[in-house]
Amino acid sequence: MLSRVADSLYWMARNIERAENNSRVLSVQLIHMLEASDQEVMDRDWGEVLDICASKLDYMDRYERIDRETIIQYLTISPVNDNSLMNSMNYARENARATRDIIPNELWEILNEFHLAQKDWQELPNTRQHTQEYLKKVKTTSMTAQGIIESTMSRGIPYTFIKVGKWIERADKTARVLNVICEKNRKESSYGTNNYYYWLTALQFLHGYDAYIKEHPPTMESRHVLDFMIKERSFPRSIRYCMDHVMEAVQRLEGGKISHYSKDLFQMLETIQEEIKEADIEHMDMEELMSFLDHFQDRCLTVSRMFSETYYLIEPVHVR
Amino acid sequence: MLNHYNTGVFFDEMMEDNGNPKRHYRSFYQLMENFSEKELREKHETAQLNFLRQGITFTVYNHTGGTERTMPFDFVPIIIPEPQWNKVEEGMKQRIKALNLFLEDIYHDQKIIEAGIIPRDLIENNPYYYNKQIGGVNVPLNNHVFLAGVDLIKDENGDYRVLEDNLRNPSGMSYVFQNRYVMRQVYPELFFEHSIETLEHQVSELHKAVISHTPPNAEPQSTPTAVLLTPGIYNSAYYDHVFLAQQMGIELVEGRDLIVKDDVAYMKTIRGLKRVDIIYRRIDDDFLDPEAFRPDSALGVSGLLRAYKKGNVAILNGIGNGVADDKAIYVYVPDMIRFYLDEEPIIPNVETYFLSDPEKLEYVLENIDQLVIKNVGASGGYDMLIGPQSEPEEQNEFRRKIIEAPHQYIAQPTIKLSRAPAYQEGRFYPCHVDLRVFVMTGDYTHVIPGGLSRVALKEGSLVVNSSQGGGGKDTWILSEGGETHA
Repeated sequence: MLSRVADSLYWMARNIERAENNSRVLSVQLIHMLEASDQEVMDRDWGEVLDICASKLDYMDRYERIDRETIIQYLTISPVNDNSLMNSMNYARENARATRDIIPNELWEILNEFHLAQKDWQELPNTRQHTQEYLKKVKTTSMTAQGIIESTMSRGIPYTFIKVGKWIERADKTARVLNVICEKNRKESSYGTNNYYYWLTALQFLHGYDAYIKEHPPTMESRHVLDFMIKERSFPRSIRYCMDHVMEAVQRLEGGKISHYSKDLFQMLETIQEEIKEADIEHMDMEELMSFLDHFQDRCLTVSRMFSETYYLIEPVHVR
Repeated sequence: MLNHYNTGVFFDEMMEDNGNPKRHYRSFYQLMENFSEKELREKHETAQLNFLRQGITFTVYNHTGGTERTMPFDFVPIIIPEPQWNKVEEGMKQRIKALNLFLEDIYHDQKIIEAGIIPRDLIENNPYYYNKQIGGVNVPLNNHVFLAGVDLIKDENGDYRVLEDNLRNPSGMSYVFQNRYVMRQVYPELFFEHSIETLEHQVSELHKAVISHTPPNAEPQSTPTAVLLTPGIYNSAYYDHVFLAQQMGIELVEGRDLIVKDDVAYMKTIRGLKRVDIIYRRIDDDFLDPEAFRPDSALGVSGLLRAYKKGNVAILNGIGNGVADDKAIYVYVPDMIRFYLDEEPIIPNVETYFLSDPEKLEYVLENIDQLVIKNVGASGGYDMLIGPQSEPEEQNEFRRKIIEAPHQYIAQPTIKLSRAPAYQEGRFYPCHVDLRVFVMTGDYTHVIPGGLSRVALKEGSLVVNSSQGGGGKDTWILSEGGETHA
């Protein structure tokens, strides 16, 4: 397969996954917002959402103050935010368009349909209801796309590149969300009141609440949540699950063999698996957890770079 | 439904002057009568949406950037009875054979110039004549025209004539298939009681034609690796490229995916470099290789021409075909057919006056208000005068231009292009149509049954081009129950 095509598939998957995850975070925040009363708390919450879905720094450079409507616009349909839902979905579509001869027709059509509907969304008044509908549309588009990929694509090279992109993106996002919540916990550990609420939020951001609560009814202890989201083998959004699947995908790509060109990549993936396994989440304090998560996010960057180097991937297609 | 339909002075594909359908349209006419107005409208909507949803679009560029548009689809097909089609098919094979011999000749022996059939100037001054780059190069199968798109029109007598040859990168083949696909999806009823030439297997014919162009230095044992080279997703014909690559099962590559090393072409894959033997390129000559042509081309591949000349890679269509399909050379195609094949043209040209001939020049200057004047080097309707629709000032302007550079212009009588009913915005009205026929050549020559019928949907317009409001129609070759037009 062409390197450029492999690269587009990888980024298509990452962009779809990113859009879905970000829309979930924003959607949860729009609900939580209704119950918050303190302006200061609210501003802080929005700052965290910005850090999870984009970059608070970039946002503040441009707008200088936390404003709810501006943030919602920035995260959903803003053309200036590289990670806005609209941009992510556009990149995904452009990537799909550049690989139309490889991907299932239905996959292209579902992304194209989203794009066609987008014009209508942009013209709708910026009400809560419309925003939620838009977020839902992003999520269902992503899920439908995944359904098409799973049910129609041969488990060959194109499929594998799509999956690697998805798992890396997801693992990175999970680490990012946990990191932000740990930071919040650390700052406010002296009060020790809102713990329950924080970890509930983390689980909701990561679509892990239902699965978690079945394992740990009905408690909400930080170490359980963190252990679940980092190390749970069977939950498809945990860091471990994602990285195990990256490893599995690369092994499939290489037919189970390790060659000189893939040696470094395999080594790195093994190291990461080892690091996750060895991490003693239960006994780490917030400080340590944050540095663990920071370290893991760096690892994600390294794996992504190594993966690109191993398969000669080149610059992704970007919208002009 | 066609109660108020008026065929006027034009030849109509479907209707007689007396308001009855032509014989080969009778079944279709009856089936169509079964639709209610509501059904017609809904089906029309569904068909247009089908193209949009599938992203079968072309990109129109203007100062604010590109917009993706679909080509409007019209459901009234162009039906051609088989005997009439057989003649077109023979005519196309004959024409492409002669054009190919012409290209082989002018890049080698130049017999047609020696024989005084075509003036040397006309060829050597042609901007698309790349003798310096590829003169004397032998190409696989000695075939320069792997895929041609020949535009045909019908005159007021209903006789086919060739309007234009496209021997470089004819586009639109995907629409032939998609028009049929959408037609079958949305108007299945209309296919009852008709026996139509199928379009299945046409892509495998195309693939066979591609693969037959094995370059001399390809590995003899293995099947050659073919790719389709596209300028990328922003090209207006990108959908065409995707469709053909996908259907033929060959890689769709961009210039940046290819590299030439030691005069061998490779593509960059996740497993390293892989040798490429045949390139079906959809990039113009100028942009193909910055080393040999335009140095500013970012779409092409450095060194590709060297690989081509060494017989390490085949390039389809051949480089330098542009010298054979411009408006000045067009005039000589009937002479080519006589010269190379010793035959009379089966499908004639539109009558064309060459203005370097003093007698013709005088006639044209006197009758400019009756004629169409075209600049031989221009395309897309630029530097063109449609006599009957022009003001005296414009006519004088063109008289002046012609006298200044008579060899730069040709003149043609204004032809009453045939028309066919179109259904848009809830009503039927007559629109001018033409037909692009696709001719593919490898070990043998094959013509796709039918082709792309293009229709000028703006009432009274003669422009079928999709960027200017033209649409497409399905084209049916009717294998029985039809009757040749006398």
